[in-house]
Amino acid sequence: MKKKKSDFRPNSLWTLPSAGLLLFLTVIPLIMLLVFSFMNRNLFAGQPWPGWTLKNITRMFHSAPYWKLMAKSLGIASIVTLICIAAAYPASWAIAKIVKPKNRSMFMMIVILPFFTSQLLLIYSMMNLIKTGGVLLTAMDAIGIHGMTTWLYTNKATVLILVYEYLPYMILCLYSSLEGIGDNIIQASLILGASKTKTFTNIVFPMSLPGLLSGILLVFVPVAGSFMEPGLVGGAGGSMVGSMIDTQYSTSLNMGYGAALSCALLIILSVIMALVRYFAARAERAIGGEPS
Amino acid sequence: MTSKGFRRAMLACMWIVLAFMYIPIIAIIFMSFNKTQYGGFPYVFTTKWYTTLFTTSNLLPAAMFSLRFAFLVTIVAVVVGTLCAYGMQYYTPKFAKRFNTILQLPIIIPWMVTAISLLLLFSFIGVGRSYVSMFLGNLIVVLPYVVLLVNGRFVDMDRTPESAAALLGASPGRVFMDVTLPAIAPGMLAGGIMALIMCFNNFVIQYYLIPVGENTLPTLVFTRIRSEYQADLNALSAIIVLIAVVVVILLSKLGFSAGSLMGMGGGNKKEGN
Repeated sequence: MKKKKSDFRPNSLWTLPSAGLLLFLTVIPLIMLLVFSFMNRNLFAGQPWPGWTLKNITRMFHSAPYWKLMAKSLGIASIVTLICIAAAYPASWAIAKIVKPKNRSMFMMIVILPFFTSQLLLIYSMMNLIKTGGVLLTAMDAIGIHGMTTWLYTNKATVLILVYEYLPYMILCLYSSLEGIGDNIIQASLILGASKTKTFTNIVFPMSLPGLLSGILLVFVPVAGSFMEPGLVGGAGGSMVGSMIDTQYSTSLNMGYGAALSCALLIILSVIMALVRYFAARAERAIGGEPS
Repeated sequence: MTSKGFRRAMLACMWIVLAFMYIPIIAIIFMSFNKTQYGGFPYVFTTKWYTTLFTTSNLLPAAMFSLRFAFLVTIVAVVVGTLCAYGMQYYTPKFAKRFNTILQLPIIIPWMVTAISLLLLFSFIGVGRSYVSMFLGNLIVVLPYVVLLVNGRFVDMDRTPESAAALLGASPGRVFMDVTLPAIAPGMLAGGIMALIMCFNNFVIQYYLIPVGENTLPTLVFTRIRSEYQADLNALSAIIVLIAVVVVILLSKLGFSAGSLMGMGGGNKKEGN
């Protein structure tokens, strides 16, 4: 594959269409997002170019609601990620290690099947399940648990729906890591006298770190940036930082301010993700596990 | 770690998780046959919501539009993405690594930020919200998945038959069509399925880039969930779940595993997103 020494090979030109798309639809828009954070007016076709301003940035730093929602979104994203890990770890372990090998892929197909339906329809079905007079509350009433009120239109509902949406990703990531751990390694560790806890902390956990890490990235980032879920099920006090950014575009039409807010979100998320990776790499080295 | 109690506890966790995932879906199918307009009780069996769905409902046209749109995006994404993965094999390792970083940007960046930045771009060049904007927005979101999945096949496969074919006198075009393409076809199929599903479902990109007043299925469902309970939505959900079951069974019969479909495991090189 990489036999020739020359740096350029004509076949690499086949990447040009994709490279062009990435340049024009990802890199340039991101630069525009940054540039627009310093614009004082909205931009529409045919209108003169807006002027420069620092107003959006100062407004953002002085906006108490923005930072409050930012903290709340990061908090919700952490909670959702932790719940997903707590639920997905044992479940993935069961599928990867306990279920009969010939049934494993079937179970994984069952796990990802909801992904093949529509995300919005999943949200809708969960909303219908938990709403007042819905199946869940009616069933609870029937078995004698009375006086339950619905979670719908509270922050709890937002967390529930987000867990529901992103749990399959976490299971998938953890499963692919856990499946790669040989049973013989675990057996060896136990036979050589390591306790179950020690086998977990020294063998299983380090070896599952790559999957755990991609799971965290796949869940935390989109959850922190979500705006549709809180808008649908979060009720009046359910806004997240994404909702505030959305307002700048769909209601109050304040593109520059919205751009500044999204830039800040993007920067904060990148920093968090870099930290997660850094600590995961350090933990891996400290425990002495090898990346699978 | 292998005691019976431990195994039972783990299995119990698995069943609880599966129940959590499937109870809402089963409930919605159950309610799609319920006569009451607002999904309440008592339960009376009816199929009238299915009749509504196929006659007067605006959901079905939106679903068909979304499906056609998703197919269009998928075809373009698979062609462009496959060429890209092919070309990437001829990059120097250093350049390939840099290219990979940029390639993963659309995956890492939250869709909302992508959508907003694209809206700015299209407003800037004077197009604004339009079908073309929506098409390009969905294309850029799914393209990296196709490239990564096809690239995974390239990394796994043996490239010597290609050299052999070329040595035996086949033209470069013939080598690609007769040797390379069959070998990477599973990756293309997995990428295509991924692209199709993501386009069909992508609410965020479509919400920001669709022409004002038009609707895809996700944007229509969003609007309708916000307004009120509508029973034909239950019927549509039930049908989509049914289709998903058929598709998933077909795919597993074709030998796809869950991981290979979602771009994880196997020869995939998507290190930690």
